[in-house]
Amino acid sequence: MSSVGSTSAPVQTTGRTGLVGSVRRDFNTMTWVLMPVAIAINVAIGQIVLALKLPVYLDSIGTVLVGVLCGPWAGALTGLLSNLIWGIALDPNALPWFPVAAAIGATAGICAKFGLFKNWWKTAISGFLIAIVAAIISAPIAVLVYGGITASGSSMITAFLLQTGQGLYTSVFSTNFLVEPVDKISTALLAFAIIEGLSARYLARFPRPENAALGAQADRRTQLLIAVGIVIILFLVDAFIIVNLISD
Amino acid sequence: MHERLSFYIPRSSTLHQLNPLTKVTLTFTLIILAFFSPWYWTAPLLAVGVILPLSALGQVLRPYLSAAARLVLPAVAFIFVMQSLFLPGGQTVLVRLWLLEVTVESLSAAFLTTTRIFAMVSAFILFLLTTHPSHLMSDLTRRKLPAAFAYVIISTLQIIPQMQAKAQTIMDAQRARGLDTESGFIRRVQALTPLVGPLVFGSLVEVEERAIAIEARGFSSTRPKTSLHEIPDTPRDRAIRWVLLALIVLTFASKLWLS
Repeated sequence: MSSVGSTSAPVQTTGRTGLVGSVRRDFNTMTWVLMPVAIAINVAIGQIVLALKLPVYLDSIGTVLVGVLCGPWAGALTGLLSNLIWGIALDPNALPWFPVAAAIGATAGICAKFGLFKNWWKTAISGFLIAIVAAIISAPIAVLVYGGITASGSSMITAFLLQTGQGLYTSVFSTNFLVEPVDKISTALLAFAIIEGLSARYLARFPRPENAALGAQADRRTQLLIAVGIVIILFLVDAFIIVNLISD
Repeated sequence: MHERLSFYIPRSSTLHQLNPLTKVTLTFTLIILAFFSPWYWTAPLLAVGVILPLSALGQVLRPYLSAAARLVLPAVAFIFVMQSLFLPGGQTVLVRLWLLEVTVESLSAAFLTTTRIFAMVSAFILFLLTTHPSHLMSDLTRRKLPAAFAYVIISTLQIIPQMQAKAQTIMDAQRARGLDTESGFIRRVQALTPLVGPLVFGSLVEVEERAIAIEARGFSSTRPKTSLHEIPDTPRDRAIRWVLLALIVLTFASKLWLS
């Protein structure tokens, strides 16, 4: 284990190098304490959204938050434990989906590492990437565990596509590509809004404050306009993917 | 919103007295059997012939049935109807509804999937009814699971009810100020910020205090820690675990051999 993962030239003087060291640095006491709160945020917001009857889940805002502030490994662990606890405490049906939750946290962490959580429009792109990963990982679970049609409302779309003569995987993938971007882009934007609302002094106590360091910014209105434009472009890309999937 | 946060029901049955790890192994064995056994009728047989009697043995038959009726049956019924109507393929048409056909093949595929899901979720329910989360965590920590994992799970189970109560308070407070949470779609989206904002920032502020508090109590100390609960691990537990492991190996072996 000499210098396997030390590509990012560690500046900190902790004495540990390599992958193990960088993972260990991500798990300080603040990380461990943030994780339960993040999972509770997932559950609480998920239930508020249910109560408001909105057509999204928004049940991984906390997971994305940990991914950005504490890195992909901590994000993945938060997602995994979040589903485990959702299964233990509220509904065992959540348990088979834990790889999706873990992938969401990891993807958020990786996006943040490449600076994709520093303003509104970059965050929208992160949300889209998270949605793609979630769509790809949840499809085999939907097919292998639930036979393609799950208990969620979006299965109506899968059922419709199956009736038009599409294959099972094509139908499930298309449904996911249709449903996930709305949910995950909103999730990422809400997580960003939370980070923007926290003080720099508070953020500095987490392992990766540089992910959230907001540099000099254009004024808010231009930024939001760019973000809206990006979101529209992303939905066009998404529509293109779906059309290609179905016409194959 | 006022859901009970732990399924656990205190009893002194044989099942309750088993070591938590034995019950984890039992749960996963049941799931693996249900999903990988080459025999078509395994999952329904497990649900009726194993999980149901075990819940009676654990003296949790009534809560088991009510939890299964509440959490599994609606989902399973929905999936069964949807799959038997919409899964393509199959020649022998049983019923024709407008454009949709129910074939023998789609019906049998739907039955297989739903009985598997039923067996999986009810195995979990049985486990959760008879195992206290903190017993499971103490036992796993004794078996070298990092204590930080146990901390995250147990403290989340404590934070969630507090947070739900807080969410309810905030929702009531904002409604009293005239926040509209029930009319049109746009209004409900607008209602999200004044509900979520105070909840999230309030709980994140507590993180720092909590970190200092547990740090002062030796959270990151690497020395061995003593536990308040002693969880017995009898030779019987070990024997049961070996039998279950053998069953898992047999299941995979027969699956590989027959395919």
